[in-house]
Amino acid sequence: MLQCIFLLSDSGEVMLEKQLTGHRVDRSICSWYWDYAISQGDQLAPVIASPTHYLFQVVREGVTFLACTQVEMPPLMGIEFLCRVADVLTDYLGGLNEDLIKDNFVIVYEILDEMIDNGFPLITEPNILREMIAPPNIVSKVLSVVTGNSSNVSETLPGAAASCVPWRTSDRKYTKNEVYVDLVEEMDAVTNREGILIKCQIYGEVQVNSHLSGLPDLTLTFVNPNILDDVRFHPCVRFRPWESHQILSFIPPDGQFKLMSYRVKKLKSTPIYVKPQLTSDSGICRLSVLVGVRNDPGKTIDSVTVQFQLPPCVVSADLTSNCGTFNILTNKSCTWSIGRIPKDKAPSLSGTLVLENGLEHLHVFPTFQVGFRIMGIALSGLQIDKLDLKNLPNRPYKGFRALTRAGQFEVRS
Amino acid sequence: MAPPAHSSRSPSPSQPSGKGEVSDLKSQLRQLAGSRAPGVDDSKRDLFKKVISYMTIGIDVSSLFGEMVMCSATSDVVLKKMCYLYVGNYAKVNPDLALLTINFLQRDCKDEDPMIRGLALRSLCSLRVPILVEYLVGPLASGLKDSNSYVRMVAVIGVLKLYHISSVTCMDADFPAILKHLMLNDRDTQVVANCLSTLQEIWTAEASNSGEASRERDALLSKPLIYYLLNRIKEFSEWAQCLILELVAKYVPSDTNEIFDIMNLLEDRLQHANGAVVLATIKVFLQLTLSMTDVHQQVYERIKAPLLTLVSSGSPEQSYAVLGHLHLLVMRAPMLFSSDYKHFYCQYNEPFYVKKLKLEMLTAVANESNTYEIVTELCEYAANVDIPIARESIRAVGKIALQQYDVNAIVDRLLQFLEMEKDYVTAETLVLVKDLLRKYPQWSHDCIAVVGNISSKNVQEPKAKAALIWMLGEYSQDMQDAPYILESLAENWDDEHSPEVRLHLLTALMKCFFKRSPETRKALGIALAAGVADFHQDVHDRALFYYRLLRYNISIAERVVNPPKQAVSVFADPQSSEIKDRIFDEFNSLSVLYQKPSYMFTDKEHRGPFEFSDELGNLSTEANVSAQKVEADDKDLLLSISEKGDSGFPANGSAYNAPSYDSSKSLSASSTSSDLVILETGVLHQASPSLAIDDLLGLGLSTTPAPAPAPPLSLNPKAVLDPGTFQQKWRQLPISLSLELPVSPQGVAALTTPQALIMHMQGNSIHCIATGGQSPNFKFFFFAQKSEELSKFLVECIINTSSSKAQLKIKADDQNSTQAFSVLFESALSKFGML
Repeated sequence: MLQCIFLLSDSGEVMLEKQLTGHRVDRSICSWYWDYAISQGDQLAPVIASPTHYLFQVVREGVTFLACTQVEMPPLMGIEFLCRVADVLTDYLGGLNEDLIKDNFVIVYEILDEMIDNGFPLITEPNILREMIAPPNIVSKVLSVVTGNSSNVSETLPGAAASCVPWRTSDRKYTKNEVYVDLVEEMDAVTNREGILIKCQIYGEVQVNSHLSGLPDLTLTFVNPNILDDVRFHPCVRFRPWESHQILSFIPPDGQFKLMSYRVKKLKSTPIYVKPQLTSDSGICRLSVLVGVRNDPGKTIDSVTVQFQLPPCVVSADLTSNCGTFNILTNKSCTWSIGRIPKDKAPSLSGTLVLENGLEHLHVFPTFQVGFRIMGIALSGLQIDKLDLKNLPNRPYKGFRALTRAGQFEVRS
Repeated sequence: MAPPAHSSRSPSPSQPSGKGEVSDLKSQLRQLAGSRAPGVDDSKRDLFKKVISYMTIGIDVSSLFGEMVMCSATSDVVLKKMCYLYVGNYAKVNPDLALLTINFLQRDCKDEDPMIRGLALRSLCSLRVPILVEYLVGPLASGLKDSNSYVRMVAVIGVLKLYHISSVTCMDADFPAILKHLMLNDRDTQVVANCLSTLQEIWTAEASNSGEASRERDALLSKPLIYYLLNRIKEFSEWAQCLILELVAKYVPSDTNEIFDIMNLLEDRLQHANGAVVLATIKVFLQLTLSMTDVHQQVYERIKAPLLTLVSSGSPEQSYAVLGHLHLLVMRAPMLFSSDYKHFYCQYNEPFYVKKLKLEMLTAVANESNTYEIVTELCEYAANVDIPIARESIRAVGKIALQQYDVNAIVDRLLQFLEMEKDYVTAETLVLVKDLLRKYPQWSHDCIAVVGNISSKNVQEPKAKAALIWMLGEYSQDMQDAPYILESLAENWDDEHSPEVRLHLLTALMKCFFKRSPETRKALGIALAAGVADFHQDVHDRALFYYRLLRYNISIAERVVNPPKQAVSVFADPQSSEIKDRIFDEFNSLSVLYQKPSYMFTDKEHRGPFEFSDELGNLSTEANVSAQKVEADDKDLLLSISEKGDSGFPANGSAYNAPSYDSSKSLSASSTSSDLVILETGVLHQASPSLAIDDLLGLGLSTTPAPAPAPPLSLNPKAVLDPGTFQQKWRQLPISLSLELPVSPQGVAALTTPQALIMHMQGNSIHCIATGGQSPNFKFFFFAQKSEELSKFLVECIINTSSSKAQLKIKADDQNSTQAFSVLFESALSKFGML
């Protein structure tokens, strides 16, 4: 099991050290790690064997979460746990960076104390942690000024520690009961050099934000659940109703949570197309990129961007676009922000690249990464049928939304 | 060699020494300790926060222990938590002061707030001071009976902590029996889970010396308990589920019905949001069905989708761990994923380690039906901006070519790579073409035509250059220019830095000579002359050998150097199938990621920290490192110079960072970074002590140590003592001398790198066996041996840089010479500028 957790800043400084077992891990492991990380560059793997310990490392927003162990253990457990710590801290501190952690290190210690004991993960459910340790939000800061009491530890033990539904307390009360269900989909697509769509799939999540009193029992049904390829559930979802009728039946945790994630494979097309063309001759390369709507989803496509990295052998670039803004940074990474695709003209980017001396043709080609966003539709076609609520004193407000955006959408040239 | 671990990046330079601040804090805490003024808690909280922030950045604030404890009488929970944190950190080094805290912790264990009861109990058990265990038993016993599950949960883990401090106390109090009862009866699942993990650990540790304990351990795998846990599994937290699933994987069901029952019960765990639960479930499924071939195949089908989703939906780190396991499965059932190959296409934004594993997956799933698509995809990566991945992709294409029968299309692709005129692409491709020709000599005409057009000037990487030279030698009859290219290479012998290339050049010239002797004679002469004069032993030997062989009989020489070859049918797999099976048995463990069964890495890691007594603290042996390194080096050398051996190809095939005994860098890092370091004192010392130490530390010092001082007492500069014996002796011998010395400021400054001191003492024939601690407390264990006798001296030296004092404890086999030795030791220290 894990023996120690360190939090390192982006300069390798130890911001926090949490020893978990009797076998103390010396801090010097961090400097070993840091030197090793620098020598490995971007090839650094998440699981490393140091001369004395096995290390798990997860880097989020410049903060390195480093865990050490000396015994055999499931690697995914270490990695998942560190990811969870990062998520919980981001949630608590309203972001994640060196200053936030240094300003709130007492809270970070408190959280770690509840999340893991003697090297074994305990409570990682954010809703429950919130009840044990109050987050350092503005309200409590104001309160502390007014009342002079800045204790961020709640005086009571969370009810969930004793409740039969481990992710929820039974005594929540809201004057206004509301529940929101969001379908958020990301499209991953790869178009190869010949312009053929070789991979196109959707990864989607059903996100629920629930503010409901008591112990409500919810049922969510879809119009077309059979299109889902593989699903994963929040622990609150009952498995049998899904297995037999594809119905999501659950008692929700309080607040925001991810009810379910799914995959839809083998989609046939993307909503927009991006067609790059590169021709090179005697040291000059002509580049043109065309963007347009392929299949109109019936809703506005916005936030369209195209990003790419010019190869190192390009000395200079002269590119202009007829639409949106185009930026090129000194490290030769280019960003073309189109925004909304206009109705009357097809956006295009064109110009010339000058290759370095002695190079006739371009042999290394950039990959174009495409971004877009469509509000109001789930591109997989998944539709919510209805949401039923039981065990509630009065009629709650129900809200539904859908959103699709580009995930890893890349076009090779 | 890497620089010593104490690099400029270590936080010390930017930090205040802390001395002034700490004494400030001390007086402020004193003032607050007795105060009952309103708002005093707020000021205390600020002070505590300061203390803990100092502690966090590594400043020693242990001197505030007394004041902190005095201030801890409060009802404020945050203050209490901070105090617990502080106490937990320093109790171990201040056992006497820790006694002070017992009182208030015990009081808090009876607080009416369960949160405080729990926290206090957790802190009490985390003090880890052996002399205080008697105070633990009472609170733990009442904690286990507490009405609140939070307290019980803490108490159960507390029992485990107690066990690790003093197993006897824990067993005497009969805690395991209480835990067993709790495990079977407690309402709260987290309590049950904690009981399970605690009992597992205790019984496993006890099993070796008690038959009853080993029966208890086996009882954890009994049917009623397994069923009891499985039936409630959904009530457990996700991490507890992992624990239970791990236990279930070890359970042996009595018949097939039972197997199906368990699998039905657990099927929905495959849909869990936590990847660790999914993998643990998969392990159960695989283990249960090992002997049922049909079902085992169905299991593969069933787990495919969840695994693929885990790969594509999680963070890159999670993908990495899952891909490692997928790779293992694919090696056992390649057909299974052959239609899902698109999941392993690399995305531009993914980190290197994920892409690399995906490339391995693509290589593994390639078969007749999908090779075309996969190779097309790989070729696109080869032209990518990301150079390391471009290289890996080309290697992947080569691997696929070597495992396929229909290589027609692939050879064309490889030859197209050569026309890309990118030096790294050319280099990788040349190595592959060489391997391909060894397996498929029939392709030589096509390949040679293209390879012949490559200018050797554009090939710089040794491996690629060696491959090109090999081809020039092997196919010199088909390549018009071969003798002349080789000749120009031979003429520039001195510019060729890689011995591997020089070795290949010698052999290639020999082969060329047998076929086209008039054109090659001159070049061969140049090469042999240069080779015989070469400073590299292998090159020298080979040149001499060839020379003598040629003088003896040319036709025999040809039979030796260039016999008719058979095509290689299968390149050797670096891993035996036995090892692969073993890794498969350890599914869902680190061994999968390292591609080594865990005994190959955890065993030696373990020896250090768990066997050594408290006195030496947390040690880790490095004893095997150097031997391993030598072995690794040897192997590398063999691989790089073997040209006929079949094992050459997969030398760089593994994507995983196996425990790092193969690089000299990690070696040096290891000796400076570990918490406490045992310096290699065994074999190496006898050979050449100073060099061995130099090497290990990576300091690159070449000065030979000064000879040992002359009588009255002379020490053996090559003294040898292994850590185990040291420990034994240390325990047996009485302290013959103990003294405290002031340390000069220069001494303190010099201690920023303890290695310097170790080197210095080594020069005085006083060897360091272990070091440890961190600023301001450094701890060293030294030993020395009389030059003519076996009698040894052992020294424990604790140097506190903040108080500028050094404490010495000397133990000796021969008590009479202690005084003389201590004079020697002190003079050695003062020569270093310590005193």
